[in-house]
Amino acid sequence: MTSRGERIWTYVLLAVITLAVVFPLIWVIGDALSPDPNGSLDLGHLTWSNFGQAWREGGFSQYLTSSVIITGSVVVIGAILAVMSGYAFGVLGVFGERLLFPLVLLGITLPMETFVVPLYYDFQSYGITDTYRGIVLAHIGMSVSFGTFWMRTAFRAVPRAIAESAEIDGAGTWTRLWRVYLPLARPAIVTLILLSFTWTWNDYFLSLILVSDPAHQPLTLGLGAFSGRYLVHINLLSAAAVLISLPVVVLCLVFQRQFIRGILSGALKE
Amino acid sequence: MSRLVENPTKAAGGTAKARVSPRRRRPGQRHRRPWLGLLYLAPGLVVYAVVVLVPAVQGAWLSLFHWDGVTQATWAGFENYTNFFRDPTLRQAVTHTLYFILFFSVLPIALGLLSAALSARRQVRGGGVFRALVFLPQMLTPAVVAVVWKRIYAPDGPINDALRAVGLGQLAHGWLGEYTWALPALGIAGTWGAFGLCTVLFTSGMQAIPGELYDAVRVDGGGAVREFFTVTLPGLRGSMSVVLTLTVLAAIRVFDIVWLTTKGGPGISTITPTIVLYQRAFANPDVGAAASIGIILAVVSLLATMVIVKLSEDKS
Repeated sequence: MTSRGERIWTYVLLAVITLAVVFPLIWVIGDALSPDPNGSLDLGHLTWSNFGQAWREGGFSQYLTSSVIITGSVVVIGAILAVMSGYAFGVLGVFGERLLFPLVLLGITLPMETFVVPLYYDFQSYGITDTYRGIVLAHIGMSVSFGTFWMRTAFRAVPRAIAESAEIDGAGTWTRLWRVYLPLARPAIVTLILLSFTWTWNDYFLSLILVSDPAHQPLTLGLGAFSGRYLVHINLLSAAAVLISLPVVVLCLVFQRQFIRGILSGALKE
Repeated sequence: MSRLVENPTKAAGGTAKARVSPRRRRPGQRHRRPWLGLLYLAPGLVVYAVVVLVPAVQGAWLSLFHWDGVTQATWAGFENYTNFFRDPTLRQAVTHTLYFILFFSVLPIALGLLSAALSARRQVRGGGVFRALVFLPQMLTPAVVAVVWKRIYAPDGPINDALRAVGLGQLAHGWLGEYTWALPALGIAGTWGAFGLCTVLFTSGMQAIPGELYDAVRVDGGGAVREFFTVTLPGLRGSMSVVLTLTVLAAIRVFDIVWLTTKGGPGISTITPTIVLYQRAFANPDVGAAASIGIILAVVSLLATMVIVKLSEDKS
């Protein structure tokens, strides 16, 4: 058993650490609820209207629309591609696998900086900078590596007995994917969707480079623009920051376990 | 973890064993259809090639030219690379990278180990709540993290207020606006962001360590410290390599938080390689130089990953 003193110290240390992490967040939430545009805390006069005002003044409805369109398309199309390529590598086998698999894996380690500059000029020549198509394509392309690796692992974990009994029933590759592999891999797909949602929703760098037209920019860039314009209205800026964070924070708190499992195995290559 | 999943034989039920032929097969090996597989892979592979592979190769090629993005490019050979090592701005940026590795990787790992070791013990209540709270910063988008820390470090922000309140007003600073303080200030923001991830990953690693090992140390009369060094730390080798890879790669390519708070300033006191890359690519285009930074970042990232993986294997 642990001694009493040891236990008290443990709680004290953990409490101090928690406070240090949470303090900046609480402060900003306090700012978001205070009436003073200079940012002095005044929790005696909670000003809930800050949220509405920040939303209107920052034009966040437009940014939200863009974020939803971009993130939604990336998550759905990215998941479909991941399932197909994962099925290819994990179950069917691929012609040229020895070359193609490491090539696909390379994308997990390759930093975005290596290809983003030429990508910008490529997109410019295709005429898809400043469009939803362009930024969605870029996000999906970058998600292929992790998605393939992740779904391949999931499909290979499907017990052989189940796949074989389906084969005896005369199911083709397509039917087997839908009837056998997909239902069994559902937890893995949930994790994949969560991770891809967070990465896309929170992205700043890629959108900064590929989308300069405010009508197609996501919320993260909208907040950047808002903080440039409204340096004085600290309470409104804080309110906007709180609103933008909510969807991801809620989602991740609900699915924290899947989320962590995803991160853990994401960096572990075989 | 993936190794466990990679071994499907163990996952398969008893009925499978009865049917297994003497030759060991992977699941689905019987219906391997490589050409059909290529067809399934094709859409993903094409998108990946268009977005990642082709531009990466183009980047390597571009890095051998001087190009302003508009007029005719001229051959540069390896000049962009030799300039990389001569350029005082970049030299500064690389120094900052080392600094950021300390703040984004080493410190969060140390703190993460400590708090995971403390909160994962069986007798401690509220460990789950603790981890959920310290994980919060990890979920925030960089744009929000920047708003938070600009507020905390503001001349009239809480840190300066607190200093003034206890009569240390002369220590108050415009933290992000001063040459001396901007870099450590950003470093602390980075530690704050990465620490929760480290804690959570280490905790999940610790759950895989058998409890008997701890009992053994206790029976030997070992305390918490010995327990940590003889059982916990060696048991965390796998998690350590994951955490190191994630945090070191993030430190090498820091951009968002710096760009959104100081834009690399004041002067170049918080500049990072990725910020130089962005400026060279778009502000005052010297595209070849930008591309060469991208290639160097790729090589460094791949090397770092290989070293970390190698190190974590060697000890086993």
